[in-house]
Amino acid sequence: MTLSHCIFLSLLLCAIGVYGVLTRRNLIGILLSVEVILNGANINFAAFAHFRAVDPVAGAIFPIFVMAVSACEMAVALAIIISMYRHKRRLDVYRLEELNG
Amino acid sequence: MTDYLFYTLASTLVGMSLLAVSLPNLLHAAISLIASFFVTAALYIMLRLEFVALSQIMLYIGGIIIFMLIIILLTTGLGRENRHPVHKSKRLTGIGISFSLLLGLTYTLYSNPSELLTQKTPLTPAITMDDIGFRLLSTGANGFIVPFEIISLLLLVALIGAVVIARKDNGKETVQ
Repeated sequence: MTLSHCIFLSLLLCAIGVYGVLTRRNLIGILLSVEVILNGANINFAAFAHFRAVDPVAGAIFPIFVMAVSACEMAVALAIIISMYRHKRRLDVYRLEELNG
Repeated sequence: MTDYLFYTLASTLVGMSLLAVSLPNLLHAAISLIASFFVTAALYIMLRLEFVALSQIMLYIGGIIIFMLIIILLTTGLGRENRHPVHKSKRLTGIGISFSLLLGLTYTLYSNPSELLTQKTPLTPAITMDDIGFRLLSTGANGFIVPFEIISLLLLVALIGAVVIARKDNGKETVQ
Protein backbone atom coordinates (compact mmCIF):
# COMPACT_ATOMS: atom_id res chain seq x y z
CA MET A 1 0.00 0.00 0.00
CA THR A 2 1.59 3.23 -1.15
CA LEU A 3 0.27 6.73 -1.57
CA SER A 4 -0.32 6.28 -5.29
CA HIS A 5 -2.56 3.26 -4.64
CA CYS A 6 -4.73 5.32 -2.32
CA ILE A 7 -4.91 8.24 -4.76
CA PHE A 8 -5.86 5.90 -7.59
CA LEU A 9 -8.61 4.40 -5.43
CA SER A 10 -10.04 7.84 -4.74
CA LEU A 11 -9.84 8.69 -8.47
CA LEU A 12 -11.85 5.57 -9.22
CA LEU A 13 -14.46 6.54 -6.62
CA CYS A 14 -14.67 10.05 -8.09
CA ALA A 15 -15.24 8.67 -11.60
CA ILE A 16 -17.90 6.25 -10.32
CA GLY A 17 -19.67 9.11 -8.53
CA VAL A 18 -19.59 11.33 -11.63
CA TYR A 19 -21.06 8.48 -13.64
CA GLY A 20 -23.87 8.15 -11.09
CA VAL A 21 -24.58 11.88 -11.06
CA LEU A 22 -24.79 11.91 -14.86
CA THR A 23 -26.99 8.84 -15.31
CA ARG A 24 -29.35 8.73 -12.34
CA ARG A 25 -32.84 10.05 -12.95
CA ASN A 26 -34.05 10.06 -9.36
CA LEU A 27 -33.01 12.96 -7.11
CA ILE A 28 -32.15 10.67 -4.19
CA GLY A 29 -29.95 8.62 -6.51
CA ILE A 30 -28.01 11.75 -7.42
CA LEU A 31 -27.48 12.49 -3.72
CA LEU A 32 -26.20 8.92 -3.20
CA SER A 33 -23.67 9.44 -6.01
CA VAL A 34 -22.48 12.70 -4.46
CA GLU A 35 -21.81 10.76 -1.25
CA VAL A 36 -19.57 8.39 -3.21
CA ILE A 37 -17.54 11.36 -4.51
CA LEU A 38 -17.16 12.80 -1.00
CA ASN A 39 -16.04 9.39 0.23
CA GLY A 40 -13.25 9.38 -2.33
CA ALA A 41 -12.13 12.85 -1.28
CA ASN A 42 -12.02 11.75 2.36
CA ILE A 43 -9.84 8.76 1.48
CA ASN A 44 -7.45 11.16 -0.24
CA PHE A 45 -7.19 13.37 2.85
CA ALA A 46 -6.58 10.37 5.07
CA ALA A 47 -3.94 8.90 2.76
CA PHE A 48 -1.97 12.14 2.58
CA ALA A 49 -2.19 12.52 6.36
CA HIS A 50 -0.88 9.00 6.82
CA PHE A 51 1.97 8.95 4.33
CA ARG A 52 3.34 12.43 4.12
CA ALA A 53 2.13 15.69 5.58
CA VAL A 54 3.74 18.61 7.30
CA ASP A 55 0.81 18.60 9.69
CA PRO A 56 -0.81 15.13 9.83
CA VAL A 57 -3.37 16.06 12.50
CA ALA A 58 -4.98 18.59 10.16
CA GLY A 59 -5.38 15.81 7.59
CA ALA A 60 -7.25 13.76 10.16
CA ILE A 61 -9.48 16.70 11.14
CA PHE A 62 -10.50 17.62 7.60
CA PRO A 63 -12.57 14.46 6.87
CA ILE A 64 -14.58 15.23 10.00
CA PHE A 65 -15.44 18.69 8.68
CA VAL A 66 -16.36 17.14 5.34
CA MET A 67 -18.70 14.75 7.14
CA ALA A 68 -20.36 17.58 9.07
CA VAL A 69 -20.91 19.69 5.96
CA SER A 70 -22.21 16.61 4.16
CA ALA A 71 -24.71 16.05 6.98
CA CYS A 72 -25.94 19.66 6.62
CA GLU A 73 -26.22 19.26 2.87
CA MET A 74 -28.13 16.03 3.25
CA ALA A 75 -30.61 17.54 5.74
CA VAL A 76 -31.43 20.52 3.52
CA ALA A 77 -31.52 18.45 0.32
CA LEU A 78 -33.85 15.90 1.84
CA ALA A 79 -36.17 18.68 3.08
CA ILE A 80 -36.24 20.04 -0.47
CA ILE A 81 -36.96 16.53 -1.78
CA ILE A 82 -39.86 16.07 0.63
CA SER A 83 -41.46 19.37 -0.31
CA MET A 84 -40.94 18.64 -4.01
CA TYR A 85 -42.47 15.18 -3.60
CA ARG A 86 -45.48 16.77 -1.94
CA HIS A 87 -46.01 19.06 -4.92
CA LYS A 88 -45.26 16.77 -7.85
CA ARG A 89 -45.44 13.16 -6.55
CA ARG A 90 -42.45 12.35 -8.76
CA LEU A 91 -38.72 12.78 -8.22
CA ASP A 92 -37.73 12.35 -11.85
CA VAL A 93 -35.23 15.04 -12.83
CA TYR A 94 -36.48 14.99 -16.43
CA ARG A 95 -39.77 16.43 -15.22
CA LEU A 96 -38.29 19.25 -13.16
CA GLU A 97 -38.15 21.82 -15.90
CA GLU A 98 -39.96 24.88 -14.62
CA LEU A 99 -36.78 26.92 -14.83
CA ASN A 100 -36.12 25.67 -18.33
CA GLY A 101 -35.97 28.81 -20.45
CA MET B 1 0.06 -9.19 3.68
CA THR B 2 -0.88 -5.52 4.01
CA ASP B 3 -0.92 -5.16 0.24
CA TYR B 4 -3.17 -8.17 -0.10
CA LEU B 5 -5.59 -6.76 2.48
CA PHE B 6 -5.55 -3.36 0.80
CA TYR B 7 -6.34 -4.82 -2.62
CA THR B 8 -9.21 -6.86 -1.18
CA LEU B 9 -10.68 -3.85 0.61
CA ALA B 10 -10.22 -1.54 -2.36
CA SER B 11 -11.85 -3.90 -4.84
CA THR B 12 -14.77 -4.44 -2.45
CA LEU B 13 -15.11 -0.67 -2.06
CA VAL B 14 -15.11 -0.06 -5.81
CA GLY B 15 -17.62 -2.86 -6.39
CA MET B 16 -19.97 -1.63 -3.69
CA SER B 17 -19.78 1.96 -4.97
CA LEU B 18 -20.52 0.74 -8.51
CA LEU B 19 -23.56 -1.12 -7.17
CA ALA B 20 -24.63 2.02 -5.27
CA VAL B 21 -24.67 4.15 -8.41
CA SER B 22 -26.12 1.57 -10.79
CA LEU B 23 -28.75 -0.52 -8.98
CA PRO B 24 -32.26 0.44 -10.15
CA ASN B 25 -33.88 -0.01 -6.74
CA LEU B 26 -32.81 2.88 -4.51
CA LEU B 27 -33.21 0.88 -1.31
CA HIS B 28 -30.66 -1.67 -2.52
CA ALA B 29 -28.38 1.17 -3.64
CA ALA B 30 -28.46 2.76 -0.17
CA ILE B 31 -27.70 -0.58 1.48
CA SER B 32 -24.69 -1.14 -0.77
CA LEU B 33 -23.58 2.41 0.09
CA ILE B 34 -23.67 1.35 3.77
CA ALA B 35 -21.39 -1.58 2.89
CA SER B 36 -18.99 0.71 1.04
CA PHE B 37 -18.83 3.04 4.06
CA PHE B 38 -17.96 0.12 6.33
CA VAL B 39 -15.14 -0.86 3.97
CA THR B 40 -13.95 2.76 3.98
CA ALA B 41 -13.83 2.67 7.78
CA ALA B 42 -11.65 -0.45 7.52
CA LEU B 43 -9.35 1.46 5.15
CA TYR B 44 -9.09 4.31 7.66
CA ILE B 45 -8.06 1.81 10.33
CA MET B 46 -5.40 0.50 7.93
CA LEU B 47 -4.18 4.10 7.57
CA ARG B 48 -3.98 4.39 11.40
CA LEU B 49 -6.76 6.96 11.64
CA GLU B 50 -9.02 5.30 14.16
CA PHE B 51 -10.92 8.46 15.07
CA VAL B 52 -11.88 9.11 11.46
CA ALA B 53 -13.00 5.48 11.13
CA LEU B 54 -15.20 5.78 14.22
CA SER B 55 -16.74 9.05 13.11
CA GLN B 56 -17.30 7.57 9.65
CA ILE B 57 -19.32 4.74 11.16
CA MET B 58 -21.21 7.01 13.57
CA LEU B 59 -21.90 9.97 11.29
CA TYR B 60 -22.27 8.41 7.86
CA ILE B 61 -23.74 5.01 8.62
CA GLY B 62 -25.57 5.92 11.81
CA GLY B 63 -26.77 9.31 10.67
CA ILE B 64 -26.78 10.23 7.02
CA ILE B 65 -27.58 6.86 5.48
CA ILE B 66 -30.34 6.08 7.96
CA PHE B 67 -31.82 9.49 7.17
CA MET B 68 -31.58 8.71 3.49
CA LEU B 69 -33.22 5.29 3.93
CA ILE B 70 -36.14 6.95 5.71
CA ILE B 71 -36.55 9.42 2.86
CA ILE B 72 -36.40 6.62 0.27
CA LEU B 73 -39.09 4.71 2.15
CA LEU B 74 -41.21 7.88 2.44
CA THR B 75 -41.03 8.90 -1.18
CA THR B 76 -40.94 5.69 -3.18
CA GLY B 77 -43.62 3.69 -1.43
CA LEU B 78 -41.77 1.26 0.86
CA GLY B 79 -38.88 0.68 -1.48
CA ARG B 80 -41.11 -0.38 -4.34
CA GLU B 81 -39.40 -0.43 -7.69
CA ASN B 82 -39.48 3.10 -9.01
CA ARG B 83 -37.36 2.77 -12.05
CA HIS B 84 -37.25 5.35 -14.75
CA PRO B 85 -35.48 3.84 -17.72
CA VAL B 86 -32.35 5.67 -18.79
CA HIS B 87 -31.69 5.81 -22.50
CA LYS B 88 -28.75 3.78 -23.65
CA SER B 89 -27.16 6.79 -25.37
CA LYS B 90 -27.23 8.81 -22.13
CA ARG B 91 -25.74 5.91 -20.21
CA LEU B 92 -22.96 5.64 -22.79
CA THR B 93 -22.36 9.39 -22.58
CA GLY B 94 -22.06 9.12 -18.78
CA ILE B 95 -19.61 6.22 -19.10
CA GLY B 96 -17.59 8.20 -21.66
CA ILE B 97 -17.39 11.37 -19.58
CA SER B 98 -16.46 9.61 -16.34
CA PHE B 99 -13.96 7.35 -18.10
CA SER B 100 -12.24 10.29 -19.80
CA LEU B 101 -12.13 12.08 -16.42
CA LEU B 102 -10.53 8.98 -14.90
CA LEU B 103 -8.02 8.70 -17.74
CA GLY B 104 -7.00 12.35 -17.50
CA LEU B 105 -6.58 12.28 -13.74
CA THR B 106 -4.66 8.99 -13.86
CA TYR B 107 -2.32 10.39 -16.52
CA THR B 108 -1.72 13.46 -14.33
CA LEU B 109 -1.06 11.25 -11.32
CA TYR B 110 1.42 8.91 -12.97
CA SER B 111 3.26 11.61 -14.91
CA ASN B 112 4.27 13.09 -11.55
CA PRO B 113 7.91 12.14 -10.96
CA SER B 114 7.76 12.48 -7.18
CA GLU B 115 9.26 9.63 -5.16
CA LEU B 116 6.75 10.25 -2.45
CA LEU B 117 4.06 8.42 -4.38
CA THR B 118 5.81 5.08 -4.17
CA GLN B 119 7.27 5.24 -0.69
CA LYS B 120 6.41 2.17 1.34
CA THR B 121 6.79 3.46 4.86
CA PRO B 122 4.90 6.45 6.18
CA LEU B 123 6.98 9.47 7.10
CA THR B 124 4.56 10.86 9.66
CA PRO B 125 4.18 9.64 13.24
CA ALA B 126 0.95 7.96 14.25
CA ILE B 127 -1.91 10.31 15.14
CA THR B 128 -3.64 9.73 18.44
CA MET B 129 -7.13 10.76 19.41
CA ASP B 130 -5.72 13.16 21.99
CA ASP B 131 -3.92 15.11 19.26
CA ILE B 132 -7.11 15.50 17.27
CA GLY B 133 -9.14 16.60 20.27
CA PHE B 134 -6.61 19.15 21.47
CA ARG B 135 -6.14 20.57 17.98
CA LEU B 136 -9.89 20.85 17.39
CA LEU B 137 -10.39 22.98 20.48
CA SER B 138 -7.10 24.86 20.76
CA THR B 139 -7.11 28.61 20.30
CA GLY B 140 -3.45 28.76 19.29
CA ALA B 141 -2.01 29.57 15.90
CA ASN B 142 -2.74 26.10 14.48
CA GLY B 143 -5.96 25.51 16.33
CA PHE B 144 -9.25 24.63 14.69
CA ILE B 145 -11.59 26.35 17.14
CA VAL B 146 -13.01 28.84 14.62
CA PRO B 147 -13.95 26.26 11.93
CA PHE B 148 -15.33 24.05 14.70
CA GLU B 149 -17.66 26.79 15.92
CA ILE B 150 -18.64 27.75 12.37
CA ILE B 151 -19.52 24.12 11.67
CA SER B 152 -21.73 24.00 14.74
CA LEU B 153 -23.48 27.19 13.61
CA LEU B 154 -23.88 25.71 10.12
CA LEU B 155 -25.46 22.58 11.58
CA LEU B 156 -27.94 24.70 13.54
CA VAL B 157 -28.83 26.79 10.47
CA ALA B 158 -29.25 23.66 8.33
CA LEU B 159 -31.51 22.12 10.99
CA ILE B 160 -33.77 25.18 11.12
CA GLY B 161 -33.74 25.53 7.34
CA ALA B 162 -34.68 21.89 6.84
CA VAL B 163 -37.61 22.24 9.21
CA VAL B 164 -38.79 25.42 7.49
CA ILE B 165 -38.52 23.95 3.98
CA ALA B 166 -40.15 20.62 4.78
CA ARG B 167 -43.04 22.14 6.76
CA LYS B 168 -46.48 21.84 5.26
CA ASP B 169 -47.48 25.23 3.88
CA ASN B 170 -51.26 25.17 3.67
CA GLY B 171 -51.54 28.94 3.89
CA LYS B 172 -53.64 29.18 7.01
CA GLU B 173 -51.16 29.61 9.79
CA THR B 174 -52.69 31.22 12.81
CA VAL B 175 -51.14 34.36 14.18
CA GLN B 176 -51.24 34.44 17.92
